[in-house]
Amino acid sequence: MAKTMFITQEGPANALALNKDNTQVVIAGRNVFKVFNIEEEELVETCNLRVGKNLNHLNFSCNDVAWSTNEDHVLATAATNGAVVLWNLNRQSRSKQEHVFVDHKRTVNKVSFHSIEPSRLISGSQDGTMKTFDLRIKEATRTFYSNTESVRDVQFSPHSHHNFAAVSENGSVQLWDVRRPDRCYHQFTAHSGPIFACDWHPEQSWLATASRDKTIKVWDLVSKPVLEFTISTIASVGRVKWRPQRKYHIASVALVVDCSVNVWDVRRPYIPFASFNEHKDIATGIAWRGDPHTFLSTSRDCTLYYHLFKDATRPASKANPQGVAFNSRGDLAYACKANNNLLVKSTKTPGNSKRSDQSSDEFVQASSHMHWYNKKMNYENIWFLGCASQYMLSGRPLPDLCDHNASVAENLGRTTVSLVWRMIKILYSPRLGDFGLQLGIKDDQVGGNLKDKDGETERRDKKEEREGEGSSEEGSKKTKRQLRLEDLKAGTDSMGDFFFGDGEMDPLSMDFERGNSVGLCVDIITHDWTLPIEAFPLRHEIQDSSPPPEQLNNDSPEPSDETQFLTIEDPPSSLLTVNWVTRAPMWDSSVVISNALKHHANAGDVQTCASVLIALGEKRRNLNHVLDEAIQEQWLTAYIDILTRYKLWDVATQVVKGLYSWCQGCAHGGHMKHIQEWLENNVECPAGCGHQCEYT
Amino acid sequence: MLFEAHSINAEHKDLIHDVAYDFYGQRMATCSSDQFVKVWDQDEHETWNLTATWKAHSGSVWKVTWAHPEFGQVLATCSFDRTAAVWEEIVGEGTAPGERGMRHWVRRTNLVDSRTSVTDVKFGPKALGLLLATCSADGVIRIYEAPDVMNLSQWTLQHELSSKLSLSCLTWNPSFSRQHPPMLAVGSDEANQSLGSKVLIYEYNENSRRWAKTDSVPGVTDAVHDISFAPNLGRSFHMLAIATKDVRILTMKPRQDVVVQSGQPRFDIQTVAQFEDHYCTVWRVSWNVTGTILASSGDDGCVRLWKCNQMNSWKCVSVLKGDGTQACTISGAPTAQGTTSSAQTSSSAPSRKFAESAIEKSAPLTSMWQPAVIKGRFTKRTWIGAEPAPPPSAIDKSKSYARK
Repeated sequence: MAKTMFITQEGPANALALNKDNTQVVIAGRNVFKVFNIEEEELVETCNLRVGKNLNHLNFSCNDVAWSTNEDHVLATAATNGAVVLWNLNRQSRSKQEHVFVDHKRTVNKVSFHSIEPSRLISGSQDGTMKTFDLRIKEATRTFYSNTESVRDVQFSPHSHHNFAAVSENGSVQLWDVRRPDRCYHQFTAHSGPIFACDWHPEQSWLATASRDKTIKVWDLVSKPVLEFTISTIASVGRVKWRPQRKYHIASVALVVDCSVNVWDVRRPYIPFASFNEHKDIATGIAWRGDPHTFLSTSRDCTLYYHLFKDATRPASKANPQGVAFNSRGDLAYACKANNNLLVKSTKTPGNSKRSDQSSDEFVQASSHMHWYNKKMNYENIWFLGCASQYMLSGRPLPDLCDHNASVAENLGRTTVSLVWRMIKILYSPRLGDFGLQLGIKDDQVGGNLKDKDGETERRDKKEEREGEGSSEEGSKKTKRQLRLEDLKAGTDSMGDFFFGDGEMDPLSMDFERGNSVGLCVDIITHDWTLPIEAFPLRHEIQDSSPPPEQLNNDSPEPSDETQFLTIEDPPSSLLTVNWVTRAPMWDSSVVISNALKHHANAGDVQTCASVLIALGEKRRNLNHVLDEAIQEQWLTAYIDILTRYKLWDVATQVVKGLYSWCQGCAHGGHMKHIQEWLENNVECPAGCGHQCEYT
Repeated sequence: MLFEAHSINAEHKDLIHDVAYDFYGQRMATCSSDQFVKVWDQDEHETWNLTATWKAHSGSVWKVTWAHPEFGQVLATCSFDRTAAVWEEIVGEGTAPGERGMRHWVRRTNLVDSRTSVTDVKFGPKALGLLLATCSADGVIRIYEAPDVMNLSQWTLQHELSSKLSLSCLTWNPSFSRQHPPMLAVGSDEANQSLGSKVLIYEYNENSRRWAKTDSVPGVTDAVHDISFAPNLGRSFHMLAIATKDVRILTMKPRQDVVVQSGQPRFDIQTVAQFEDHYCTVWRVSWNVTGTILASSGDDGCVRLWKCNQMNSWKCVSVLKGDGTQACTISGAPTAQGTTSSAQTSSSAPSRKFAESAIEKSAPLTSMWQPAVIKGRFTKRTWIGAEPAPPPSAIDKSKSYARK
């Protein structure tokens, strides 16, 4: 037989049976009762046994069907009305019905021929009895009372000819000797739910039982019943059948939920060895065709399938045999399938086992090794934790923060990050900003009230200078500024300090932003500018104009007024040059900074991005035109997330458990006792929100 | 990269299919075909101790995953038995001796909607609430929501999407940005190449309130076994790792010029790396928390670690063998961040090395700040480094994957 094939019937079959040489199959159900020839390419219907006047007669409604183990023309069915019906395919008439035994009081669940004595038939019924029939005298010979509500399956033992096993709905298995109908010689509770089927192992003294408790159990019945294997499946098990010539393989079908026919290796009871998923509804019967490679199955979907074992799906092959996971500290957990194959092959004598046995053995040896790789010298971790704990992000002027953070990064060996901080410092240093600002404002003045603005700038200039005077000497200042400019070029470290606090910075940066917007307006006029060309003149501008403040300090304020005036004269001369000059703030640091930060973000270093953003404080807004606020938010939330992973939080941010109170003004609070302690010495909220908490 | 290997005797009776760390990385859950789930806790000596084990399903347990700790100690599992389950750890508050402080896991819900094996389960990003996505062998993606995060026994099936491909894995895009709509990617282990792409991208549309397939990743036609979005800590693009017959890393850049409803691809997808080093099926991929290192494991029984250098090219930085040994440590080219540290260097040496490289590198670095190099239509990067030339082969190679 070359392929998996099927044939559809008018109704679902409840059972099927093969003749003794496996060339024909009979299927039986409530509305179907047919015999098929199993041919090379197809299943051919040879006989429909549902014929006659009274098709609605319940004799035709079959729960089970059995084919005589010796006679090719004798069939028996278990009818839902309690009859056991004998059929003779050799009858000349249309109706093949040979005899009807009406001994059972309720539905008959199962009929089964004796494997050696073809005249002996056994039945199990819902009335709780089993009966043996002698087909020669056409009489029920014996009745076995199970003392249970109903018998679901009954089967002669292939090993001892007088014994049979019966399973019942109360979960018990009974072993009987036909010569002793008064009582069973063994009875044990096998399952916690009804047992629907049983099957004797063809070679071993094993009995498999299938139950509603979703398990298949294999019992060794050589002396006392011993539970050998338990297979737990996903649904109530309706039928089981051992696979011929494969000691450990058993096929099962479910009563609900699962439409597939599964073949298990009892030694690996968790995952089917093979699975047949052709049926669209639950399968009702299975019959091996005398060899391990083919079997037939019926289903509630009205089909009869002929399966080739090689067409099975192997659930285990799709199951992923490995697990790997990183934790937040960079440690790695890894579980993988233990490879025992080499070991097995070497211990086996060659040629001793069949190929299929070997694949089955490999299937069974499923176990995993698990390893945990602890990352040593985890620099990323050290960097992150070091920076997270040592960075200063607020509370001091930006340049100080930058210096501090740059040195933190430097000490940890993160030169790039250190450079970023220095860059921030340089780009946001008031000096440089100032030049840009002056130019920007000058541009502004072209369109409006020159005098006021000019005066304002100048005043600010003076203020700065005064500030400068206060904090450091002029001489050193100049050299430092030059140093700083060189920094830009060479990127070497200068521990340059800055003279302006946040107070001065803020208005500056706001103007700076205004300068920007002007630059943007101009931008529309001239599209063909390029960044490098722009950046170049800027340096010259700086160098040219850097002296004025110095002079301003050395001399009287008047000359400085002159220089200011001079530069103001500039714009009217040509619009183009003005645009050129205004480009200086356009080259503005925010583009560079945002690019630098984006670079770090893309490299997975969100810490730098978030820290810089926080350190910039209000000045962060300057970046908004090049750096979406949503991205800024994303960086901050991402950084918070990672900090949380490292559990770098304050006690104050933890969830309070127990007796607590909170301030109704700011909604901060904590354990009652702690809050009391705090408020004895403090007035403000312990959360640092600045609220003067009141607890009443 | 240097690792110290420790063997853990998991004592699962069958294959372990998944290992998952919790949010903090101090708890671990394993699941196996033996239908059990085990929870391990790390003590102060960094030893892993088994703290819970229970039979979770009546079939192989394929995946286990932790919810964000904000929702409690919560696990989700999925199984061959066609269900997914949500478990919560309960700390006993009883007064009887021995009862107090006792921890045990209880099943909060059993999600039984699937008609086939549930192959993957993942909690959604925390910002979206308590969401759970499952995918199954019949190709259905289901998204559940617990409307009340305090009540884990009530889950409602919010969305059901059919992909028509047998699905094996799923991953949420973990982006923190509100600009990125909820997104997930699924992979199929369907071996039939003619069925097209095995990685599909789904996105939630706020207006229609529906999930819809936006993209199918081109060039991935072999069975996909695992898929994972890199944590997105503020990248402008998404990164997706795929375990198929090889390891692949994709970048996905949202297209600005596409209207969502138009049915056009939403993303510009490029393959930035493709490695066949496992020489066989790759089963798993996993990112570190910052999305800078990818671990892949394959049938060769090795875990390979991949890292992107500053030239934007991905290199293998370490190979760990499944038997607990470290096959080799590959020293990548030293970068300004100093990612190299081999087993040979002593603990003091690296820092000195970093300092040296800093001096060497610092001079060119700042002067090489350059305006954005516009490459192709969507590639925009700022380049730092000694060479002004754009990134090497990885990018050139990826161009061929770009949309025709």
